[in-house]
Amino acid sequence: MPDELGGQMVQMTVFTGERSMAGYRLNKLSASLIDPANRANFLADEPAYCRRFDLTDAETKLVKNRDWTGMVEAGGNVYVFLKIAATVGSNLLEVGAEMRGETLTQFMATRPPQKRSK
Amino acid sequence: MGQIVGGIGVSHAPSLARAYDEGKGEDPVWRDIFKSYEPAAEWLKALEPDALVVVYNDHVNQFFFDAYPTFALGVANTFAQADEGWGKRPLPDLQGDSDLGWHIARSLVADEFDPTICQEMVVDHGVYSILPFLMPPPWETPIVPLAVNVIQHPLPTAQRCFNIGAAIGRAVTSFRDARIVIIATGGMSHQLHGTDFGHLAPDWDNEFLDLLESEPEALCELNHLDYMQRGGAESVEVIMWLVMRGAMGSRVRNIHRAYFAPMLTGYGLVCFESA
Repeated sequence: MPDELGGQMVQMTVFTGERSMAGYRLNKLSASLIDPANRANFLADEPAYCRRFDLTDAETKLVKNRDWTGMVEAGGNVYVFLKIAATVGSNLLEVGAEMRGETLTQFMATRPPQKRSK
Repeated sequence: MGQIVGGIGVSHAPSLARAYDEGKGEDPVWRDIFKSYEPAAEWLKALEPDALVVVYNDHVNQFFFDAYPTFALGVANTFAQADEGWGKRPLPDLQGDSDLGWHIARSLVADEFDPTICQEMVVDHGVYSILPFLMPPPWETPIVPLAVNVIQHPLPTAQRCFNIGAAIGRAVTSFRDARIVIIATGGMSHQLHGTDFGHLAPDWDNEFLDLLESEPEALCELNHLDYMQRGGAESVEVIMWLVMRGAMGSRVRNIHRAYFAPMLTGYGLVCFESA
């Protein structure tokens, strides 16, 4: 969905108030994972943890599949769902490679990116 | 009368925290980056600051979207490190300076800026990823943290960031005799979501550093979309550097500058003194 920023429609994804509302439950679950006890509960029974935060079936599936691209589309904020990645032993590089449709090895081959054309 | 004796603009990034914790100072990718912080750390130490004002953004560790403040000032004598999901790093809590904090709070509100005042505030990698490079722990210099919303739109404008910085400068001037350094973290170019993940813009980042020194009003005129299109969506947080620049007065002298872009984020560094 196109976002509005500064009174104009833009092509890039912007974490607008509207997106934040749409992703509220998902982001609230993600943010809760700053607590080690919550991380343990999430890992022990992920579906129950998703129910606790009233996630829809579609949102629960995004979490289950670690579908970071889908989470962005559903209003997830990358800074917040990174806490899911942290909890399950992943990291920003792996999350980013997935969003680009690449393997981590493919993505790392693009770094450092000095030779990239503008 | 208080005085702002120095200003620092510097990128924050989880990768810096990891490199520090893993002792990557001799690693070929990191060696020059680590070395670039050394002159800044030596200069900062020689300034003998009584306190630091540190401008940064919270990555949804202290604040959630139930109540996300546009500006939040930490007024306390201790600030704990946030657990961002990976567990805490082996670093001490930060000392605060509640005298300076309350003074800045009173002065800002009288000056028609209205930050949320926080007597408890955990601080995340927005401060912790870079502070050890600039000031080796244990940390004896207290800080007053100012968190800025650069995540959930609507964000404060670049001009607003500059203006609140100028107001912080006025607040310091009306404080008792004290030597204050203002540090702003964030950016530079980076895009952390979508198919453009990993976007870097070294040319723009260096132009930003030029303008920050000599023509900050040009940066104040840019809107959020300008920043996001040039440096990537998440790079908009570099507007926080304008808080520092606004506090420094009309002219600055550049003491030290460095820039690297090896991975996901443009790592920039500037040290200014008022000219």
